[in-house]
Amino acid sequence: MKILAIDTSCDETAVAVTEDAKVLSNIIWSQASAHAKFGGVMPSLAQRMHEERIDFVIQRALENGKWQMENLDSITVTVGPGLSIALGVGVNKARQLATKYKKPLIAVNHIEGHLFSSLARPNNSKLQTTNHKLNLEFPAYGLVVSGGNTLFILIEKVGKYKVLAETQDDALGEALDKGARMLGLGYPGGAILEKMARLHNVSARQTGFQLPIPLVGQEKRQIFSYSGLKTSFYRLIQKYPPKNKQDICNLAAVFQDVAFAHIERILSYYFSNHPFTHSTNQLLLGGGVAANIELRKRLRKLCRKHNLKLHTPYSNRLYGDNAAMIGVAAYLNQNFVNPKEIDRIPNLKLA
Amino acid sequence: MQIIKTDGNSIDKAVEILKRGGLVIYPTETLYGIGADATNPKAIKKLTQYKERPFGKPYSIAVADQKMAEEYAEINSTAKNLYKQFLPGPLTIISKGKGKVAPGVESEDGALGIRIPDYKLIRDIIKAFKKPITSTSANASYKKRPYKVSDILENISKKQESLIDLIIDGGKLPKNDPSTVIDTTLDDMVTLRQGKIKFNKENEILSKSEEATQNLAKEIWQKYERHQGKRSIVFALEGSMGTGKTQFTKGLAGAMGIEETITSPTYNLLHTYDYKNKKSSAISHELFHFDAWRMLDGEELRNLDFENIIKNKGVISIEWAERVSDIIKEFDDEAIIIWIKIKFGKAENERVISWGNI
Repeated sequence: MKILAIDTSCDETAVAVTEDAKVLSNIIWSQASAHAKFGGVMPSLAQRMHEERIDFVIQRALENGKWQMENLDSITVTVGPGLSIALGVGVNKARQLATKYKKPLIAVNHIEGHLFSSLARPNNSKLQTTNHKLNLEFPAYGLVVSGGNTLFILIEKVGKYKVLAETQDDALGEALDKGARMLGLGYPGGAILEKMARLHNVSARQTGFQLPIPLVGQEKRQIFSYSGLKTSFYRLIQKYPPKNKQDICNLAAVFQDVAFAHIERILSYYFSNHPFTHSTNQLLLGGGVAANIELRKRLRKLCRKHNLKLHTPYSNRLYGDNAAMIGVAAYLNQNFVNPKEIDRIPNLKLA
Repeated sequence: MQIIKTDGNSIDKAVEILKRGGLVIYPTETLYGIGADATNPKAIKKLTQYKERPFGKPYSIAVADQKMAEEYAEINSTAKNLYKQFLPGPLTIISKGKGKVAPGVESEDGALGIRIPDYKLIRDIIKAFKKPITSTSANASYKKRPYKVSDILENISKKQESLIDLIIDGGKLPKNDPSTVIDTTLDDMVTLRQGKIKFNKENEILSKSEEATQNLAKEIWQKYERHQGKRSIVFALEGSMGTGKTQFTKGLAGAMGIEETITSPTYNLLHTYDYKNKKSSAISHELFHFDAWRMLDGEELRNLDFENIIKNKGVISIEWAERVSDIIKEFDDEAIIIWIKIKFGKAENERVISWGNI
């Protein structure tokens, strides 16, 4: 099934062409890189920017005529969750195209996209793309860690999800961005924090800087929380103002270490206490923060310990917000909607 | 339309036009106001046409003295104290109206805002007219505050201009803030808008936990919730990273009866939460939770439909409000804006929280 997929849920204007789980093109107009020069502030008018760019990005995704709208099987778009005005641009465009070319329209939940991003396959993949050949059977676990989401999920089957743990305040990506900001690093901070953290000269836990892991001893509650970590980090920086670059690197390493340890502990508690409950040995990882090498390393270790297979996206362009993952989710879920009835749902829930 | 200077003849001329149901633009100690006979329905209709504002938003009135105020509203002891201390002056006092003004002047629940301008010529005009006149700024809704006649004329349409009967040109006025609005219809005095007068000394508490911050939000909500559905209520939260702005909003949402988990809207810029509004017939039944951390300036807030949310009398919480304060302040006569500042205290979990309508 050949699909034109659109995602304008927040900052990125993203369009892709997918065939089943294969990614034929995946164009992302990211605002983040342009924004770095603004010293950490996202410049204005996400909506207007989407509107200005969407046609151009669609053209690019169609590779200037390599794929014709007429030859596609359907159109899909993210309807939520996200920023209402931004979502509206993608939804309107998808409705317009579906009506004009008389194509069926599929509505996708953005988080579902991240959840299945690890199932996307490169164009040259020899693998068949059915669930069976992907060597994946449901149920499976899912972990989505991004700027806006921190969700640990049980995928009972495609379309049926149970949230096992979610954040009560900041998302992991947001916490990393803010930690970076407290250290005076730029935007997007999480990525820079990762680079700085790699340059720490002693092991994170031996830097002399101490930060408490959030909710230690409260893993049973099965929630994520980063508000307390921000406070502790603020106090730590007050107490030990970084004197040189090495201090900043060490502080970045400590912050990242603790932020990830929190995720590990919540997941580890769950796996230890529900070893055979769901007869699954799969964990699907997605979201912008999953691009962090240190996090993946730790999750791989965690999965080995609990006999799980970790699935990660094959390309860096599938971690952050993108439309290829929306195309894959649309292929799997096939939630067809009438173009007259499709609407954005800014606070759409997964389960 | 006629423009005259503030000389002796202006009183007679103004009174003549007010009697005919006309509109008069006049200088005050704050900014240029536009006056119509507050008891004449036709004059009020004309004024609403000029202001291009939605029906249902009340007008304050200007009176010559407290005696005239008492004819039109019930001036209770709190109000009397304020009259004595601050009037004439840049203070609008809301009292329970007696229903003696034209429809649309009092609010839907019968409250009437009254002020006595600290500008002798205007008090003389009202005295000679023997009735109150409206006291609303001479700009159309959402337009620049007028400190000189050209501020008005340059920002209105030909049609609006044709509705003005007289302008009393008092020259360029000092850039004072609009008047402070104080509601005295409650036992507990509530400041709706803080203009020039620094009113209550700022409220301040020391919060020692996230729960205490949430409880404070609940208390502040209970103080303002009766305005729900009548005006937009904006909680403008200031404070650096990790001070607990989202915690405050959690408390607010809890007090409003929202059961969903409130998470930080930093990434999405805006989260909305439905709630059941037991106490009023508000158009909006959503809590709008904004985060301006990633916004470059107030224009982004405007782009997120902020103006419509205010017009629909929504309840709003804005984190990093200081980043977009220019836009928030534009709506200070439309909405009740409560500024909340949170700072780190001495101990790990201590926060110093102060609030008010500064």
